[in-house]
Amino acid sequence: MTAQAGFARASRLAWTGRVVLAALLLIAAVASGAAIGETSIPLAVIAKTLANKILAAGYPLDAIDEGIIWNYRLTRTIVAACCGAALAVSGVVLQSLLRNALADPYILGISAGASTGAVTVAIAGLGAGLVSLSLGAFAGAVLAFLLVALLARAAGGGVSMQATGQIILAGIAGSQLFNALTSFIITKSANAEQARGIMFWLLGNLSGVRWSDVWLAVPVAILGVLVCLWHRRALDAFTFGSDSAASLGIPVRRVQIILIGTSALMTAVMVSMVGSIGFVGLVIPHATRFLVGVRHAGLLPVSALMGSIFLVSADIASRIAIPGQVLPIGVVTALVGAPGFAIILVRGRRIR
Amino acid sequence: MILSIHNLGWSVRGLPIVSGATLDIQEGETLGLIGPNGSGKSTLLKLMAGLLEPSAGEVRLKDAPLVHLPRRAIAQAMAFVEQHAETAERFTVRDAVELGRTAWLSALQPWSVQDDAIVARALVDVDMDGMENRLWHTLSGGERQRVHLARALAQQPEILLLDEPTNHLDIQHQLSILGLVRQLPVTTVIALHDLNQALTCDRIGVLHKGQLVAVGSPHDVLTVGTMRDIFGVAASFLTDPADGNRIIRFHPAF
Repeated sequence: MTAQAGFARASRLAWTGRVVLAALLLIAAVASGAAIGETSIPLAVIAKTLANKILAAGYPLDAIDEGIIWNYRLTRTIVAACCGAALAVSGVVLQSLLRNALADPYILGISAGASTGAVTVAIAGLGAGLVSLSLGAFAGAVLAFLLVALLARAAGGGVSMQATGQIILAGIAGSQLFNALTSFIITKSANAEQARGIMFWLLGNLSGVRWSDVWLAVPVAILGVLVCLWHRRALDAFTFGSDSAASLGIPVRRVQIILIGTSALMTAVMVSMVGSIGFVGLVIPHATRFLVGVRHAGLLPVSALMGSIFLVSADIASRIAIPGQVLPIGVVTALVGAPGFAIILVRGRRIR
Repeated sequence: MILSIHNLGWSVRGLPIVSGATLDIQEGETLGLIGPNGSGKSTLLKLMAGLLEPSAGEVRLKDAPLVHLPRRAIAQAMAFVEQHAETAERFTVRDAVELGRTAWLSALQPWSVQDDAIVARALVDVDMDGMENRLWHTLSGGERQRVHLARALAQQPEILLLDEPTNHLDIQHQLSILGLVRQLPVTTVIALHDLNQALTCDRIGVLHKGQLVAVGSPHDVLTVGTMRDIFGVAASFLTDPADGNRIIRFHPAF
């Protein structure tokens, strides 16, 4: 009994330690996101800005510095962190449920639908200026996902091994359709300036992020990650397929609907805010598996943390890589992510 | 009756795979299911496990219709070892066996030392202790099968449904696994290919073209007539001088 209590206490202590470490890493990432940029701002100024804004401390500060930190860098960094966490966790969940290493948050047609929604609003002029780009993108993403889900269902997608294949095929069909629609609208109606603007948006863009976006991104990311964490044992149980999961006591269809729905919704919200940032949802889950293994109790939270830190770093890189110009963040994630993934693949092979 | 099926049927695109199967399984017995390839053994087991929805009839677990029970309650009573369950993940033996505890844990309930003990015990039972940290893809077919069985044991079920659990095993482990299953205080339904192994079951059900054509003691069911009509072979019974038990020898039926 005492051994057991000691065991429980030790494991609680270890958990607290890990949570504190994760929080510290996240704070460090967000602080560097606020500090580093075309003009570097000392961390002390950042701390004082926060104190001024949150606690009304009244430190005398340069108004421009304060404005840059509070309205510009802090918002985009926090949204980048949420986005990274949401995309990485969605990637983990979809790879596990669909039992496909190539699954990512966009496999269900979400990014394709979002871009169609965005161009419908921005270029085809739907809603006559009353509908924002984000709202259009969100509607497009949800519509595309529902269409893919319907198609998957009609094709017999769901519980069995080959049915997960049907979901992926339905996703590919949906993505192709919506990508073609996007191209169609751009070539039909866009002028050169609009086409360039929309291309930037499609590659991921954090420049337009404001506090209103933060208030949406933070709860969505936290809730989404918690829902997935709640189902961590169910996700483990899918390792040997859905029949095996069912015989282990998992209500397969319900869990599939909850988890795929959560991932889709998280992804749709993030994409509608910042565009479709690729690679995070595909690579971070794999990288994390090499670090902490495949059990979801560790994989999910560490993926969320790695995704956050990766995307904040990518955002910093996108701002300072070329002086006087902000690169689309999707370009940075792929430029860093692709070689990084190559290294993981080669080294992972050797470990096996 | 711990598990019973009544007029159970399952068909795919109008083609009946199992039809009209009725059977009561007694608590504590080991029931062997035999039949040629494609006779519906795996399908019948999956129906019993609730993994397939019957197109006719019903399965009752302790007199409750299986379709009305939550998956979690079913899994606490019944464990199923499939024939082919594979993974490409870097799963260890211990990870795989720990899955057996899923039905007994909830999202807020942490893994406990009792769970550790149950997993360790299951590993010992299938002779896989000391291999906890081996990765799944490094295991042989027989080792994988033993791990699956350990996972089912860790589930601590009252009923074990086993789909040809011995078909990848070496002879020593075939005998030890069958011995273990017989000696466990659980009800077992086991699909078998080796008819001599089926001889050791308490009762045998014979499947032929999706129908349960005979159920009874091995002595009554495994006859020369069954061998000829169902399996298409001639058979003769010999007595093992070592212990006086009967064994079957097969010849092509010309």
